[in-house]
Amino acid sequence: MIKFEHVSKTYANGVKGLQDVNLEIEDGEFIGIIGMSGAGKSTFIRTINRLNDITEGHLTVDGVEISKLKGKALRQYRRKVGMIFQSYNLVPRISVIKNVMSSLVPDMPFGRVLLGLFSKEEKMRALEALDRVSMLDKAFVRTDQLSGGQQQRVSLARTLTQNPSVLLADEPVAALDPVTAHEVMDDFKRINEELGQTVLINIHHVDLALEYSKRIIGIRSGKVVYDGPADGVTQEMLDLIYSKDEAK
Amino acid sequence: MSEKLEAVLSKEPRRGVQYGITIIIVLILLASSMPALGGADITAKGFEMGRNILGGILTPDTSLLFGLGDSGVAYLILQTIAIAFLGTLVGAIIAVPLSFISATNIVPRPVVIITRFIIMAIRTVPSLVYGLMFIRVTGPGPFAGVMTLAIVSIGMISKLFIETIEDLDSGILESLDAFGSTLFQKIRYGILPQLGTDFISILVYRFDMNLREATILGLVGAGGIGAPMIFALSAYHWHQVGAILIGLFILVFVVEILSDKLRQKILHG
Amino acid sequence: MGWYDKLFEAESFTLENGKTVTQKFTRLPLILFLLLIGIVVSVWVTGFSIVTLFENFAGFWKIFGSMFPPKLSYFVQVWRPLLMTIQMSLLGSFFGALLALPIAILAASNMTNHRAINLTARFILTVVRTMPTLVSALIATYIFGLGTFAGTVAIFLFSFSFVGKQLFEYIETVDMGAYEALTATGANSSRAFVTTIFPQILPTYLSTSLFAFEGNVRYAAILGYVGAGGIGMILNEKIGWREFQSVGMILLSIFVAVVIIETVSQQLRKHLS
Repeated sequence: MIKFEHVSKTYANGVKGLQDVNLEIEDGEFIGIIGMSGAGKSTFIRTINRLNDITEGHLTVDGVEISKLKGKALRQYRRKVGMIFQSYNLVPRISVIKNVMSSLVPDMPFGRVLLGLFSKEEKMRALEALDRVSMLDKAFVRTDQLSGGQQQRVSLARTLTQNPSVLLADEPVAALDPVTAHEVMDDFKRINEELGQTVLINIHHVDLALEYSKRIIGIRSGKVVYDGPADGVTQEMLDLIYSKDEAK
Repeated sequence: MSEKLEAVLSKEPRRGVQYGITIIIVLILLASSMPALGGADITAKGFEMGRNILGGILTPDTSLLFGLGDSGVAYLILQTIAIAFLGTLVGAIIAVPLSFISATNIVPRPVVIITRFIIMAIRTVPSLVYGLMFIRVTGPGPFAGVMTLAIVSIGMISKLFIETIEDLDSGILESLDAFGSTLFQKIRYGILPQLGTDFISILVYRFDMNLREATILGLVGAGGIGAPMIFALSAYHWHQVGAILIGLFILVFVVEILSDKLRQKILHG
Repeated sequence: MGWYDKLFEAESFTLENGKTVTQKFTRLPLILFLLLIGIVVSVWVTGFSIVTLFENFAGFWKIFGSMFPPKLSYFVQVWRPLLMTIQMSLLGSFFGALLALPIAILAASNMTNHRAINLTARFILTVVRTMPTLVSALIATYIFGLGTFAGTVAIFLFSFSFVGKQLFEYIETVDMGAYEALTATGANSSRAFVTTIFPQILPTYLSTSLFAFEGNVRYAAILGYVGAGGIGMILNEKIGWREFQSVGMILLSIFVAVVIIETVSQQLRKHLS
């Protein structure tokens, strides 16, 4: 369970990323986070993985206050929380399977990490993750020969290989065409249903968010303005979420 | 209506003056450089020389061209390739650390300014001067050539390495961070695989260039196909000159095609 | 590479759900093996020895050290040959680049629709480029006599082939749409070229020419070694007489000149792109 209590985040330049966020996320939920660009969606997601630090409040995951985590404890915590980025972040000129297996590296002994030696078991784990996103036949292809949608799936497989209990995705389909975007969203949905992982996805595209998520969190100027079921999102609510901030 | 059009027309940028000044500057520079054309002395002897060289290329010394001994073209080519190959390798070994301490995303600016100045200074000294200096270290011969090319390569290799390092995709490092990697793991799986292919492709390119450089090292006694060519030229042995030039041409031509293919393969899979 | 995959068996993986994928045997051992052979042969052919290098490297620093401090008063005799070197490079680069334009047009298959002409033009560029500049300078001194003219000819040949190759490869990538549109309005091909293709290639053309000029200044410094004029003549002389402080001064002068020229030229090239 992820719990936000009065969480705020102010950047060094004074910009308020999050303001007094209070909410709870149960295990196995599928949540879409909507809002305009710059509203704080990315900040919200990134604080859960500690890629951003919070400045006020408490953020606990399974009862552990994560803002106190350091060094090895932080790295171990991050093993449980997978993150997927809009820009795929794959090394283009190595094979797909090598990219996928890189998420196993933190659990491997130093010598094998240095030499890049992976066991058959590790290869099998990577291949199974690739199969889950229908990319098995591309396992030994160079990553830069894949399309954007395929690369995002590889990125998803990489995260699955680390076997996280929470899956964070920061605008995973923003750079993809509508058809491919649906395919990737289907992958997320299937993983959520089959493996029971908690999924949090930032999407600026409202239709996709409403179609796939059970729960929607609407963020505007760093504040949570909507938190509830997807079918409870009204046009007025959308107008509020996507309205210009008068105060600025 | 036409007034409106004319108003727009009057706003058309006037590049004429700019072009005019540029052309005048270029002409002045060229005119003031004319003294360099002095000293031309095309005598009947010159024409004869030209004809002799051309004749030599058309009727090369076949025993030299196809000879397999120590003085045959085949061995000279092998030696030239060996000099270029080792020179590139040694140059790369020196250039890699130098590049990392010259990249703005790795070290602070003042350090970058100093190291880039050093690279620039290394680059300025002509290869033949290095050749003469290294002969004191290694004695005359191809070994001196290897070291000369190594030093001469540093400039270009590190310039291109630095560009690659500065173009690193930091998003990949963020991903590695997100699944809990240590600094060492980030270098091994985030940085090295990104740099590897580019570095190799740069080295293949530099090898191609070093091959050309290696052909002139013979002038200072640093081995390669250049030395016998100079001897043949100064002794007016035109058929030998022809044989060596043909060998040189085939060497450079073949290596250029191969290195282009190889780089294509490395960069685009 | 078929033989390699036959020799080393591919590894196959079977997932729990029965799907199978195979991975070809890694090429790494082959690459490392070839690299190792290359190194061993090269070391053997060149007589490379790390031991000698470390034992005698002091000799290198000794010569290097003897260049300091550079003999500043010697500059009186340096500036004239240095200027001559720059003049050689300027003239050679200018005329080389000038002649490169027509041959690049002849070599580009989208400009000259005649295979034989394309290939001939490319062959000329390749042959000229193969010839090391120092060798063409040497041959030029035989034909034109010792002096800067021979050096200018060598630089001219290099610029011509370098700019020519870069330019024709670039021309083959330009957008032909505007050219075709203009030909469709009834313009003849040379007019269509000047108004549509030329503006597209001009920045690259100028930038490549400037780049060649930068390199040429540095290269021209050694042409004197074969008697082709410029600062290389006195450099060769001073090295021969072991007046290393004067050598230091010559190198310092070249360094300053190259830095100035490269800075100006890089600014111009940045402006062009």
